[in-house]
Amino acid sequence: MLSFTEELVLLLNDEDGVPLPIRQDVAACALAGAVLMDLAFDYRIDTDFEALVVHDRTPTGNAVLDRLLAKIAARAEVCDTKTWIGILSAEEAPAVHDEILAGLVEQGVLAVRSSKFPWMGSRRRPGGGGETAQKIRLRIADVLYSHDIPDPRDVALISLLDACEILPEILQTQELADLRPRITLLRKMDLIGREVAAAIADIERSIIQAVRDRAAQFRKLLLILSAVAGSTAGATFVLPRVPVADSFGAALRMHLWFNSGWQLWTGYALLALASAGILAVVLMKVRRIARFGGHNWWRLAHAGLGVACVLALFVHTGFRLGANLNAALMVCFLTVLILGGLAGVCNNAAGELRRMGVPPRVRIIPMRLHTVALWPLPALVIIHVLAVYLY
Amino acid sequence: MSRNAFFRAGWVLMTLAAVGGALLWMTVGGARRIFLIGETTVAHHQIELACESCHTAPVFAAAATAEKALNTACRNCHEDELAEADDSHPRKMFRNPRMAVYWDKLDARLCTTCHAEHRPEITRKGAVTVAADFCRACHSEGDQDVRTDRPSHAGLAFDTCASAGCHNYHDNRALYADFLAKHANQPWLSAAPVHTLSARQRTPAPAGETALERSDALAPVAALTDPTALDQWTGSGHAAAGVKCAGCHAPEVAPDAPVAEVEARWIAAPPLAVCRSCHKAEANTFARGRHGMRQHPMIAPPRDAAKTAIGAILQETIVRWLADATHPTRMTVREARLPMRAAAAHKVLDCGTCHQPHAVDVGQAAVKACVTCHDDPHSQAYVGSPHHVLWQAEQSGAAAPGTGVSCATCHMLKSERRGVIATSHHQNDGLRPNTKMIRPVCLDCHGLGFAINALADSGLVARNFRGRPAVHVQSIDWAARHTASETENTGR
Repeated sequence: MLSFTEELVLLLNDEDGVPLPIRQDVAACALAGAVLMDLAFDYRIDTDFEALVVHDRTPTGNAVLDRLLAKIAARAEVCDTKTWIGILSAEEAPAVHDEILAGLVEQGVLAVRSSKFPWMGSRRRPGGGGETAQKIRLRIADVLYSHDIPDPRDVALISLLDACEILPEILQTQELADLRPRITLLRKMDLIGREVAAAIADIERSIIQAVRDRAAQFRKLLLILSAVAGSTAGATFVLPRVPVADSFGAALRMHLWFNSGWQLWTGYALLALASAGILAVVLMKVRRIARFGGHNWWRLAHAGLGVACVLALFVHTGFRLGANLNAALMVCFLTVLILGGLAGVCNNAAGELRRMGVPPRVRIIPMRLHTVALWPLPALVIIHVLAVYLY
Repeated sequence: MSRNAFFRAGWVLMTLAAVGGALLWMTVGGARRIFLIGETTVAHHQIELACESCHTAPVFAAAATAEKALNTACRNCHEDELAEADDSHPRKMFRNPRMAVYWDKLDARLCTTCHAEHRPEITRKGAVTVAADFCRACHSEGDQDVRTDRPSHAGLAFDTCASAGCHNYHDNRALYADFLAKHANQPWLSAAPVHTLSARQRTPAPAGETALERSDALAPVAALTDPTALDQWTGSGHAAAGVKCAGCHAPEVAPDAPVAEVEARWIAAPPLAVCRSCHKAEANTFARGRHGMRQHPMIAPPRDAAKTAIGAILQETIVRWLADATHPTRMTVREARLPMRAAAAHKVLDCGTCHQPHAVDVGQAAVKACVTCHDDPHSQAYVGSPHHVLWQAEQSGAAAPGTGVSCATCHMLKSERRGVIATSHHQNDGLRPNTKMIRPVCLDCHGLGFAINALADSGLVARNFRGRPAVHVQSIDWAARHTASETENTGR
């Protein structure tokens, strides 16, 4: 039987193995909650409003759970569940995800797929697992659509998915609305022992609180930054270019947009900001690095750099599209920024869009277009820089 | 291989391919128009793809080195012209360390300070890319403040210095105060309006000893069967100057060579170099104007991809693809930015485009050749204009040589050196700015005041001087008053 954590990892991808558009901080909290739920169901931990305590240090037999149990037990300071959700999601979620994937491969649930390319070497990564994930989804659907008494673990999993707002990504919006009374009923069912039930309820509350706290902390800021970056970049196509000075001595505008030396340095500043923006995303994918500060900070850095790129682009061009190759570069850059802003809005206003009936596959389109639009950008930038130095 | 890895590899490969292709275009050969950062000025658009003509700095040179190289390229083509114009603001004046205080304001040591290329948004008349009141940089403070020692300038705005028709930055040969004062109060038209150099040039010379007859034509028998060509040649300047058919069609044979040798080396259509071998001055000036700029010796020829180090190792197909096909060595009417007649679009500009090869009819080259191609309001208005009427009278023999005014009279400036009158084939030399025409052309017939006013009236120019100027440039009045005042003061 798969653990909560293993089932959750499988459910974080869709039928084709493509990750669901779930914010990474939410997924990290869900993983931390799943680990604690596993430990609670195995009677290794107990929780109340003030503390999460280990009352049985016996290994569970699951390497991931045992490692984290040891970590919780080793901590001298007593922390509540919310604090542990925070600690585990920030420090352990990426590692837990990798270890769980490795474990699923060992169990034969996932297969290792090799990526080979002549001059890029080969990479092996877990893949597949769609069949098992589909079984879990069907099991969840059975629980939700039937009136039978469910398995307590299924109820706990549904509660976890609901608490982390993952359930809406698995079910259609209308379905979810229809099933809301049943979900509420399931969450109230007293199917498990009082102590475990209290622990699970506390974990759920803590997850919801942690997710909300983090979301509230970052979502608004990310939403604003994304909207500012996208709309300002879009405005470049609409706004008239800043007119040139009519009189001698109005130097700044002329220096900025018509002095080769100034343009060189503003261009380099823009290049540095754009590179840093791309690097932030690349580093965010490197789990060892991403754990420093957490994903939200990296996303915030990416969005902030996007806004800075729009400003730097204005300083470099003054809303001028340029001609020929420069025009192509400018259009490409602006498209990347506009789609990036739109993707940020879709990502950070997922709840609102979901309520508006926008399906997940539509919400993820700006993000994918943002990536596609990025394709010609490095080539255009390199050619632009080479042209500057060659001519 | 996973989907993501495949896409990433594709991304890297596409980027490398695009950069590699662009590098080949930039360094070996091929269409480079996509690298132009903006529309080239009217002055240089013909040579905009001969990038190496101006961008002579080594690859990855420092900004200062690149700027210096760019300015050297400017001077390579324009320095003589500025010297002839008695440049009012020569570069050497500003290289003096005492002028260092002005370098930060407007670095007049560099042509590119005021004439930046590929900047259409800030390019003004005369390819100037600084604000119209740029004179303010140096002439608004201290002892250089023109408003303090000249009461007439007290309320004037700096953007009117050049736009009002009073001053030019470089060429003020017809606009400086003493010249204005000297020519003040002249009538609008002189009593005997004749363009002196044209008159001397067009006065038929008595037949010289070198003049040739029809029987002197040295050509293969087949060529002599064309009576029109022979008739035209006998009446041409070539025959008058003793140039036989073989002189152009078989330039490498000796003047007294037998017909068999001439026939062996006969060239049906002599190349441009043959004309240039005798008409060097004309060819040189032709290459300085917009008609022949692509043949200027300082203009980089089309690149030969096969001769480059990279081209040598590339396949022939790629080398052919990289050929500089878009940079012909001669200008075509189709490429002109001025309005041109559609029927003339196919014409390629060289000597024969304006001059009939055998007749060498100056009248053809002076008017007909121009209006066959040019279709702007000024050219359209020429036919029937006062100048054209005078030209027709001269051509018909009703008026004396030099009284007619053709397109060439104004736009192909004449000069005399050591008794030889040369016609500059740099046909836009007098148009940058148009006051450059005043001394060599206008003043032979018109008063200075009228000429300045007429040239400052853009409407009158467009109507090809049908009527009187509606613009009055005050500089001549101020100069006259200033001189009179000084004379009065000196007299006291």
